[in-house]
Amino acid sequence: MKTTTTITRRTAMAGAAATLVAPAVVKAQGQTLKIGSLLPRSGFFAQAGQSMHRGVLAAPELLGQLGYRVEIVHIDTESNADVARTQAERAINDGCHVLTGAFDSGHTLAIAQVTEQRQVPFVVNVAAAPQITEQGYKFLVRNFQTGGQLVTNGLRLIRDVMEAKSIKFEKAVFLHANDTFGTAQRNAMDAIWPRVGLPIQLVEKIAYDPRAQDLSVEVTKIRSINPDLVMCVTRASDAIKMVRDMVRQRFQPKAIISPGSPGFYDEEFYQALGPLADFVLFGLPWANPKSNMTQAFEKAFVKANPNNRFAVDSFNAGFAFEGMLIAADAFKRAGTTNGPQLMEAVKATNLPEHVMIGGPITFDAKGQNPNIGSALVQNLRRVPTVVLPKDVAVAEPVLPFPAWQGRS
Amino acid sequence: MNPFATLARLVDEAPRRALLLLAAFLAVLLVAPVVLDRYLLSVFFLIFWFATVGQAWNIMMGFCGQLSLGHALYVGLGGYIGALLWVKFGISPAIAIVPAILVAMAFGAVIGWLGFRFGIEGVYFALLTIAFAEVARIGFDNWSFVGGAAGFFIPVSAAASPVNLRGGPMLFYYVALAMMIIAFILCAALRRSRLGHAWLAVREDAEAARALGIDVFRAKMAAVVISAAMTAVAGVVYAFYQNNLFPSQTFDIARSIEMILAPIIGGLGTLFGPILGAFILTPLGQTLIALVEKIAGRAIPGVNLVFYGAALMVIIWFTPNGVWPWLKKKLGIPEGRE
Repeated sequence: MKTTTTITRRTAMAGAAATLVAPAVVKAQGQTLKIGSLLPRSGFFAQAGQSMHRGVLAAPELLGQLGYRVEIVHIDTESNADVARTQAERAINDGCHVLTGAFDSGHTLAIAQVTEQRQVPFVVNVAAAPQITEQGYKFLVRNFQTGGQLVTNGLRLIRDVMEAKSIKFEKAVFLHANDTFGTAQRNAMDAIWPRVGLPIQLVEKIAYDPRAQDLSVEVTKIRSINPDLVMCVTRASDAIKMVRDMVRQRFQPKAIISPGSPGFYDEEFYQALGPLADFVLFGLPWANPKSNMTQAFEKAFVKANPNNRFAVDSFNAGFAFEGMLIAADAFKRAGTTNGPQLMEAVKATNLPEHVMIGGPITFDAKGQNPNIGSALVQNLRRVPTVVLPKDVAVAEPVLPFPAWQGRS
Repeated sequence: MNPFATLARLVDEAPRRALLLLAAFLAVLLVAPVVLDRYLLSVFFLIFWFATVGQAWNIMMGFCGQLSLGHALYVGLGGYIGALLWVKFGISPAIAIVPAILVAMAFGAVIGWLGFRFGIEGVYFALLTIAFAEVARIGFDNWSFVGGAAGFFIPVSAAASPVNLRGGPMLFYYVALAMMIIAFILCAALRRSRLGHAWLAVREDAEAARALGIDVFRAKMAAVVISAAMTAVAGVVYAFYQNNLFPSQTFDIARSIEMILAPIIGGLGTLFGPILGAFILTPLGQTLIALVEKIAGRAIPGVNLVFYGAALMVIIWFTPNGVWPWLKKKLGIPEGRE
């Protein structure tokens, strides 16, 4: 029998392309991707920066198991935009092929100036300013929600929990810190609240100084309004003050829900309040407890950080890890550390299996991942626990709140 | 007061060896970008920038004796006005510098008037300057036209345009260098002028100065207004360097403190002090980061800052009046001459 092989023009082109790409892929297999992780590990944002850093420490082990070879350079931005920028320059000088970071939007944009000019991919892991992906940066992608998305998703989750528990909130008060983050969230709230159409009367918006000794005045004001829902945007220490003053003044709302802010899931919140830390809710992008990769990441996290709880760090650590994963996966596909080619691969990312809740990690034309989901998380027995959406929830939401008194 | 005449006089009076050294130093700075990598260019930008704002602050505190702890206000005002006019109206920062200066001068005048008209002095005047910077921060946080707390952004552009401050670190290196040199000449001219002598008299003893016929209020007002104007120019440049402005960072008191370190370490009331201070502090911070990494094999957050603090203490311990007066003595430059 005679076998005839017809070589078409398409086959020849594919063969030629494979011949060209193959050495690069082979070379990449022998090469290690050097990732510069820029985080504010000291200064004002140190708490969050260190939490993210713990995720970065756990990354090499899991990435190694997944077949990725990375070397991570840990860089402290000192919560200072000038340091972030100069250290980004230094990291690239020292041979970093990709940068990830940087928690604060101002620091992120300072680094973006450098990566754009030097044509080095920059994977933003946490930074919420919408303009980061609206500025036309070609060497930047963001795997995080914008401030507006955080609030919109947080408010939608309030509606979902009302439906799920058949509970009605009639009056709500919005309490927020008057720092940059709190004010930005308040502005987003002003714009988004009317659009979401929640059947709740938002009676009052109260700003407070997060550095105040206590929040007794604000809580007294809230108590006089007597809302059944308190929505708040806090940081760790003021979240503690708020709950303490509510307990002290025996003010018992049906629920305290943060539509997208830190404070309620920091270790110091649990340490300071004990059982009083339980039952508060917050809507945020969160690690998917049912994902295989999250479970594998948790094991790596515990090994790398035996003194820290993954459940508490999972927001920061999860996004920090995903930044590394995006870079490593792009490198594997690109087969090169050449900036523009690596960036093309980063933009073409499609990772259905990852840590955080949401669809596959992909990036739109502006470099924004549109598939990041939010979860409603409730503190149950001092553990932040996903209670909504149902497909990823591991417990039922507890509403209305049990009384402050008598908790053990 | 003619800056060029002052410059000519300074050149005439300076020892030949010092002039040669200065010329060589300037020549090195001019050609340095040929060999400097981008990282070092960005470090030098910060040195020049801090030297400029330090020089501006030195007019108030070093020459006139008025403590301001809210100079970030003028950086922020300059930055926001420059950015706003460019983004919203397409006005080049080269032109926007004029309104930026005028607005900063107006704010400086209000602060000065409130302080000096009502006899608010010393630490109370410092508190007033902090209060204005804080009010500005809160105001800009809530002013949606400039992005509020979410920040204001200058679009990035690949096309270089030096007039519009669009370009890479090399452009900003030369812009900041020019700014530092101009600030130095201006301060030298001011210090040798009638106004400069009035400032020194006010600094030493305001009552005695008044008895000599010096209009103390006017002298202090001039110091605040000129210092504000110079700082605003630096603010415009900084905004276009970073391409973004966040009220919490721009008007932050920590920023104000950072700005005054160079003249304090270099030598208050001296012309070379702010420059020397900036040349010590910025590289010291960067070197310590690299050094800690080198020794420990990895970055240990905060350790370099501890050493930075310790280094500052050592410098202040050995040179309580600043490094420049000590160095001047070592170089044999007579008292009263820079």
